Amino acid sequence: MSIVIADSSLAASPPPPEPEKGASNYLNVTSGFWSWALTVDHKRIGLLYLVSISLFFVAGGVAAGLVRINLLGNNPTEHILTEDQYNRAFTAHGVLMLFFFLIPAVPGVLGNFFIPMMVGAKDMAFPKLNLASWYVYMIGAMFAVWGVLAGGIDTGWTLYPPYSSRASHANVMPGVIGVFVTGFSSIMTGLNIMVTVHKMRCPGMTWGRLPLFVWSLYATSFIQLLGTPVLAVTMILLGVERSTGYGIFSPELGGDPLLFQHLFWFYSHPAVYIMILPGMGVVSEVLTCFSRKNVFGYKAVAWSSMGIAVVGFLIWAHHMFVAGISYYAALLFSMLSMLVAVPSAIKVFNWTATLYRGSITFQAPMLFALGFVVLFTVGGLTGLFLATLGTDIHLHDTYFVVAHFHFVMVGGMVLGYFSGLHFWWPKMTGRMYSDWWSRVAATIIFVGFFLTFVPQFVLGYHGMPRRYPNYPAEFQVLNVLSTAGASVLGVGYLIPAIYLTLSLYNGKKAPANPWSATGLEWQTPSPPSVHNFDSMPVVKCGPYEYAVGVDQMGRGLPEPPGEGGGPIHGYGKTGPAGPMNKETEVVG
Amino acid sequence: MNESLPWFPERASTAAVDFEWLFWYMMAVTGVAGLLVYAAMAVFCVQYRRGATSGSTPRILGSHRLELIWSIIPLFAFLSFFAWGAYVYNKAVNPPPDVATEIFVVGKQWMWKAQYPDGQRVIIGGNPANMTEAERASIGKLVLPVNRPVKITLTSEDVIHDFGIPAFRQKIDVLPMRYTTTWYEPTKTGEFHLFCDQYCGTWHSLMVGKVKVVTEEEYADWLEGVKPLQGSGNAVDGSPAREGEKLFLKLQCLSCHSANPQAKAPVLEGLYGTQVPLQGGQTVTADGAYIRESIRNPKAKVVQGWEAVMPHYDRKQVSEDDLSNLVAYIRSLKRGDTPKRTEQFPAPVGAPTTPSQSPPQPEGKK
Repeated sequence: MSIVIADSSLAASPPPPEPEKGASNYLNVTSGFWSWALTVDHKRIGLLYLVSISLFFVAGGVAAGLVRINLLGNNPTEHILTEDQYNRAFTAHGVLMLFFFLIPAVPGVLGNFFIPMMVGAKDMAFPKLNLASWYVYMIGAMFAVWGVLAGGIDTGWTLYPPYSSRASHANVMPGVIGVFVTGFSSIMTGLNIMVTVHKMRCPGMTWGRLPLFVWSLYATSFIQLLGTPVLAVTMILLGVERSTGYGIFSPELGGDPLLFQHLFWFYSHPAVYIMILPGMGVVSEVLTCFSRKNVFGYKAVAWSSMGIAVVGFLIWAHHMFVAGISYYAALLFSMLSMLVAVPSAIKVFNWTATLYRGSITFQAPMLFALGFVVLFTVGGLTGLFLATLGTDIHLHDTYFVVAHFHFVMVGGMVLGYFSGLHFWWPKMTGRMYSDWWSRVAATIIFVGFFLTFVPQFVLGYHGMPRRYPNYPAEFQVLNVLSTAGASVLGVGYLIPAIYLTLSLYNGKKAPANPWSATGLEWQTPSPPSVHNFDSMPVVKCGPYEYAVGVDQMGRGLPEPPGEGGGPIHGYGKTGPAGPMNKETEVVG
Repeated sequence: MNESLPWFPERASTAAVDFEWLFWYMMAVTGVAGLLVYAAMAVFCVQYRRGATSGSTPRILGSHRLELIWSIIPLFAFLSFFAWGAYVYNKAVNPPPDVATEIFVVGKQWMWKAQYPDGQRVIIGGNPANMTEAERASIGKLVLPVNRPVKITLTSEDVIHDFGIPAFRQKIDVLPMRYTTTWYEPTKTGEFHLFCDQYCGTWHSLMVGKVKVVTEEEYADWLEGVKPLQGSGNAVDGSPAREGEKLFLKLQCLSCHSANPQAKAPVLEGLYGTQVPLQGGQTVTADGAYIRESIRNPKAKVVQGWEAVMPHYDRKQVSEDDLSNLVAYIRSLKRGDTPKRTEQFPAPVGAPTTPSQSPPQPEGKK
């Protein structure tokens, strides 16, 4: 049986011609400061986010560098920072990276830019709200930067009272306000994406045909909408207690410190899914494209995102097994945490199965995506040790936790973000970056990451507590190794900054669809025109019909980039792949 | 880098053994699963790389059966982690009903105070701003007996701390205005790290100390104060010997019983348990009874070579309780263990004092 992949019969239509590049695209249509400061174009807002989160990534990275350099020595005589400075450095690292880089990274940059294009819309549902979200983000960020510059915050990003509300002499309030304000930006982005996905899909773009990136961001926005208000409430309560002394969390004032932990983790645990789900979406796009395969189990991957988003709300107290919660609460939260691991496992297995019998090439987006799967697997599996009661008692608050969440957040999310950035960079900027250097960078980042964080698992297993500038001498060798790895990682991050910037000036002009991908976003010129599509796209089939060789509009795909030449080598010369009659094969 | 990390951390409690079995079971399961995924990825990436195949790929949409398999098998693996973990946790958080020793620990920025049932106290840590490295090294160890369950009840005076001992694989947050409990049954003698695991401010990383697990006999001696094991040289605070020492200084015993060559009475260090030659050629074993008698009635047995100048102390001056503390103190005095000078413990007004030859030197102690 020949498979029917579209509602209407598909003639073996050739791939669309390279879209006419108009004189204007979204980048050059207008210019000047106000054209950017007051833009409501989702693509420009995406770039605004790109610039700002990159700055915070650098700032957070510098703080991480200080922490790692300081950890070369195990006692004050060998340190470059005093204890107070160290505490401020790791807090700055945590606050900046989590609230101002990881959470807005993919939704703010790639989501804003590509969700409308992927669903065939000309903009977000609420373009002005979208711009407002960036301003709110920047206002919140300025508060946090003020807090960091005016003496710093020394509470750790978790802000546990009564330390943060009563004991700390540092600049906690600006940080609290910053986190509070930025939360609204996250809510606005989430709302926008959710409404856009519901209301702005072009004809034929049914829920079952949404790219998995859209599904993952839809699940993310669900968490942002429901979780972030709780964080806002928590920050207000903390701010009230700190500024007025009205007892909410501090037991000496009649409050309950565990209440804060419950509220904080009610948001902050789902928040780790805000960070990782978009990365999973990127990886689903990239793995299918670079292995020229349909995703293995579209529904399983899409629904596992939703499953993670829902169950992710029910497991927060696994951060509190030794915090003094009741025995039965611990049992319940441990078991529910096991359930959330299942959809993550499904994703990993389905991604792996997607590679089966593919035709795989290893350009930078693919290398980052494969790195994501490898590192996320480690991060996910080690998470089980922390969700299991008997092992968490020992591993809690040690470097095992630090290594675990860096494997998820950096190994997973940052690699996913880099994968998406490299995948869509030609579309966003109209330029190709250096293929060779990008592969080198992906490899260096992967290796550097392993060197940095594997020693930390060993340290944690041996019991080294987190947030310790001074530590017993026997832990020093592994700490030095970790810092060495971090310097490799730092170099790995520098290289993309260089070649991506250079690509803007002397990169090859990118064709509309350099990776021969199926999504609607590739049906626009690179860089896209202001309204994305010249005419309303009509979707005829699901995403990822790489085997058949048609894009979502049912047209043929250009020749995919080969392994030999550059990514655009051979494009348009060897001819279109064109739709092929192909049976659906059944495995398993 | 003078010390190297062992391959496996010390397993020094029953909980540690439970932890290790569970940990390595999970390592085995997750390790095998992870390596299988990696192996599949590696094989696919090599075998199906562009150029190795025709370039035409099959249209495979998925397999519900496979998806079901790789959902259910992990689910059961994870639930086995949960069940075993709950079993270990249950043991770790619930002390056995017959636990006899309960130690109270109070955490404050940035030290721990451990209070033993009979009044002994140990301070672990201190304000690092005012401490030298040598002081840090010598201060405060939580002394525990081996092979006996000990319950620890904790509270904090300020912010949240966490009392964690990696070698025991135990950890519990310490909250203000609330008691939390944990328990250990150490299975190995030795010294182990004690960390504050919950960030608590500037010197969080110096809110550390040691746990010293000793034999039952040593533990009893230590509680008595005759064997300082808690890190400093003197009898542990709150022990009978420590109380005896205070009494010893208060009663001005030191003015005669000192290491000073001009002393009017024999020095008492290392005395306990030895054979004491008496006037008249007899000897007597310096045990509790002899020391007690020598305080109540010094003229009964006078040590050879000394004059019987010591006044007697009757029950009004020194109660039987005080006497037993004095005995414990004298028992605790080691050879070379010069008693502290009176200057450190000013004598009551009007009491005679011995002029000191040198300032008090705590380092002179053993």
